[in-house]
Amino acid sequence: MIKSTSMALAVLFGLSAAPILAQDVPTLTIYTYDGFASEWGPGAKLSEGFEAICGGCKVNWIAADSSIGTLRRVQLEGDTTEADLIVGLDTAIAGEARATGLFADHGIDLSGLDLPGEWTDAQFVPFDYSHFAFVYDADVVANPPRSFEELIALPEDFKIVVQDPRSATPGLGLVLWIKAAYGDRAAEIWAGLKPHILTVTRDWSDSYSLFLDGEADMALSYTTSPAYHRIDENDDSIHAALFDEGHYPQIEVAGILKSSDQQELAKQFLAWFASAEGQKIIPTTNWMFPVVDLGDDLDPAFATLPQPEKTLTLSDEDIIANSSAWIDEMLAAVQ
Amino acid sequence: MASKMLTLLPPRPLRIAAAWVLALAITALIVAVLWAILAAAGDGAGNSRVDIAHLVRMTTIQAGLTTVLSLGVGMALAWALNRLRFPGRDLIVGLFAAAIVTPGMVVAFGLLSIWGRNGWINEASRALFGFSLGNPAFGLSGILLAHVILDGAFAARILLARLDAIPEPRLKVGQSLGLSAWKRFGLIDWPAMRGSLPGLGAIIFLLAFTSFPIVLLLGGGPANQTLEVAIYSAVRQDFDLVGAVRLAVTQIAVCSLVILLASAVPPVPTALGRSAQPRWQDGAIARSLQWLVLVIACIGFALPLVSVLIDGFGSGLLRVLGQATFWNAALTSLIIGVSSAVLTLILALTLSLGRAAIPGRGARTILGAPTFAYLAVPAVVLSLGFFLLVRQMGFAPGQAAPIVVVIANALLALPFAVATLGPPLDAVARTRGKLIRSLGLSGWQQFRRVEFPLLGKDIGLMLALAFCFSLGDLGVIALFGTQDFQTLPLMMFRALGAYRSNDAAAIAALLLVGTIIAFVGLPRIFERIAHAAR
Repeated sequence: MIKSTSMALAVLFGLSAAPILAQDVPTLTIYTYDGFASEWGPGAKLSEGFEAICGGCKVNWIAADSSIGTLRRVQLEGDTTEADLIVGLDTAIAGEARATGLFADHGIDLSGLDLPGEWTDAQFVPFDYSHFAFVYDADVVANPPRSFEELIALPEDFKIVVQDPRSATPGLGLVLWIKAAYGDRAAEIWAGLKPHILTVTRDWSDSYSLFLDGEADMALSYTTSPAYHRIDENDDSIHAALFDEGHYPQIEVAGILKSSDQQELAKQFLAWFASAEGQKIIPTTNWMFPVVDLGDDLDPAFATLPQPEKTLTLSDEDIIANSSAWIDEMLAAVQ
Repeated sequence: MASKMLTLLPPRPLRIAAAWVLALAITALIVAVLWAILAAAGDGAGNSRVDIAHLVRMTTIQAGLTTVLSLGVGMALAWALNRLRFPGRDLIVGLFAAAIVTPGMVVAFGLLSIWGRNGWINEASRALFGFSLGNPAFGLSGILLAHVILDGAFAARILLARLDAIPEPRLKVGQSLGLSAWKRFGLIDWPAMRGSLPGLGAIIFLLAFTSFPIVLLLGGGPANQTLEVAIYSAVRQDFDLVGAVRLAVTQIAVCSLVILLASAVPPVPTALGRSAQPRWQDGAIARSLQWLVLVIACIGFALPLVSVLIDGFGSGLLRVLGQATFWNAALTSLIIGVSSAVLTLILALTLSLGRAAIPGRGARTILGAPTFAYLAVPAVVLSLGFFLLVRQMGFAPGQAAPIVVVIANALLALPFAVATLGPPLDAVARTRGKLIRSLGLSGWQQFRRVEFPLLGKDIGLMLALAFCFSLGDLGVIALFGTQDFQTLPLMMFRALGAYRSNDAAAIAALLLVGTIIAFVGLPRIFERIAHAAR
C-alpha cells in the first residue's frame, strides 16, 4: 500500500513538472471555455492546423469553466497572466471586456467577413456566430410557436427550459433578445413566460439535456443546434423555432491581451483563424456558423437550416449600462 | 462527569497538540482564502443587489427539511439493512453509499429518468392507467427528493456501520431476554446510532444549505435558490468580489452556528466490537416492515442510479472506452483520488485522535469546528481563493493544479471522514481508556493494538468516501483544469457542452461503477488488513 502510494505521489508531482519542459519553442497560450478545448471541440484541430503553418510554434489551450470565466481569470491575473489570447467571449460581454483595458488592437483586415451586420471592432475578431433560438422536436411538437406572444398563449403544460443569465451566456442572450425585441414590455413578456418555464439551469448543457430527455418541449439554444443532430446523429427531427419579432445573435470573438509577449504570433493566429482555412474547422466542432463564406466546404446540412429574417441588436453602451438591471427585471418577473 | 472522564482517559499531549495545530492550519487557510479575494478586489464598492434575509430564510427551510427527512430515511434504511440478509446485499449497500459522492447532476438526471415527464413511472402509469402523473420532480419537492436520495442513502451507510459494530455479547443478551423488535431498537440500536446523528445532521444540513446545481436544475427558477447561487453570480456576473466575500461570510456564519450546535452535543459512548453479523430474528411484522423499507428505498434510491447505468451502457460506451483521453483522464482521476484519500485519512486521524483524547467539552467543540469549515465556504469562493493564493505564492495555476486539487478534495472529504472515524474513536477512549491506562500503553501502541484493529472497516469506508469525493469533484477542477490535466467529471462536463450527451452518460455510468466498487471493496480490504495486524 505504502509503495503504491508513493508511486502515485511521484506520478502526481511528475504531472505538475511536465509543462516546464516545453519552454524553448514560442508558445501561444490561449484561454477558452471547456467545450471549446474538449476532445470534441475545435481546440485540438485548430492547434494542429496552426502549428503546421506557424513554423515551429506550439498552441497551449487553458480551459476555464465558462467563457466569462476566462475573462474573470485574466482580470484577476492582470499583467501577470500567461494568456496571450482569449478565444470565446461573445458580443454581450465584449463591451465589458473592452472596458477592462486589457486587450490590444488586432490590426487585422476583417472586411471580407460574412456576418449578420458589419464588423468594425478594433480589439475583437469574430470567429463564429449563430442566432439564439428555441429548439423543438418535430415528432413531439407539431405546431411550434412563431413568436414569444404565441408561446405565452399556449397551454401551461407547454414547457420550456432556459438558462440563468447570471451563469450562462445563452441565458444572458435571452434577456438581451427579449429586451431588444420588446423594450419596455420585456418584464411583461417574462411574466407571461413564467408559467411555461420548467426550470432555469446554470449551464446550457443542463437545459439541452433536459430537452433531449423529453422533460421540456423547447430549450433555449441556437439556430445551428439542429445541424449537430443532422450531421452527427443522422436525426432530422430537431428544429429551431423561428420567431417573427426577429432573433438576437451570439457572435463569439477572440482578442489579444496587451500583456502578451507574443503579439505577432497571436495576430498571425487570429488572421489564420478568421480565414477560410481556420474557419473550416468551426461548423462541425463548435456547431456554429463560420464568419466567412466557405462555399462548398460548409457542410450542406448548415445550408438547409432556416435562418431568421431579422437580426436584433443592442449597443455595447446599452448593454454595459443596463444588463444588471435587465437581469434583475427578468429575475423579479419569474420569481 | 468531566472529572470522571479525566481519570479514564490516558494522557496524550502529542495527539492533542497535533490536532490543535491542524485545526489552526485549516482555519488559517480559510482566512487566507477570503483575504486573498478581498485583496484582489481592491477597494471595489460592494453594491449587493441581493435580499440576503430572504435567501437565508428560504435556504434554511429547505436545508432543515432535507436534514430531518434524510436522517429519518437513513435510520429506517440502516435498520432494515442491518437485519436483512439476501444475495446482492453488498452491492445494494455499495450503491446507496455511492449516492453521496456521485456528481449532483448525475443523480438529478437519474431522478428525472424515473420521475420525470417521460420517466419510467409516468410511462408505466400511462401504459397501465392511461394518464400521466405530471412532473413531481421540479420545485421544492424535486429539490428535497434529490437531496434525500443523496443524503439519506449516505446517512444509512454511516448508521449501518454503527449498527454492524454492536458487539455480539450485547446482542446475545438482548436475544436471550426476548426483546421485541421495538424494544431492541430503543435499548440497543438507538444508543448505537445516536452518537452519529448530530455530526451527520450537520453535514447533511451544510450540503443542502450550500447545494447549487441541483437547486438550480430542479428548483424551477429564482424562487428556490441558495446563497451559493447569489455568491456565484456576484463573482461571475458582476465581478463584485467584495460582495461575494460579504455573502460568503454570511453563509459561513450561518453554517458555523449549525456546526457549533452539532459539535456541542456530546457523543454517546458507543460500544465497539468486531463487525460480526449475528442472526437476529425479528418477529414477522418487523421483518415485513424491513422488507417494505428496503423495497421502497430501492425504488426511490437505487432506480435513479440504475437508470444512470442503463443510459450509460448504451451507444456511447465503446466510443468513450476507445479514446486515449478517456484513459488519461481516468488515470489522473485515480491518482488524484488515491492521493487525496490518503491525505484525508492522515488529517482525519490527527483530528479525531486528538479530539478523542480531550476530556473538556468546550475544547472538543472548538476543535471540531474547523473540520466543517470547508463545507461552509462556497465552492466558487474557495476555488477562486485557492487560485489567487497559488498565484501570490508565485506558482502558475497549471503547475500547482494537481496539488491544489488534492488538498482541496481532501479538505472537502474531511467532515465526512471525521464523522466516520470520530464516534468509534471517542468510544474507544470512553470504554477502553481505563484499560489502556492500566496497561500503560504508549500512544502508538494504543493505536496499533487497540484503535486500528477496531477501526479497520471504518477506515476502509472513510477511504472509499474520500476517494470517491475526489472522483466526483467538479467544483475545484473546473478552475484548475487544462487541456492536458482533466479528470473524468471534467471530461463528462466537456462532453455535455459539446452536445455529446451519450458520451457524458457513459462517463457518468463508469464513474458510478468505480464508486460502487470502491464502496464495496475498500471496507472489506481494510477490515482484513486491520484484523491481520492484531
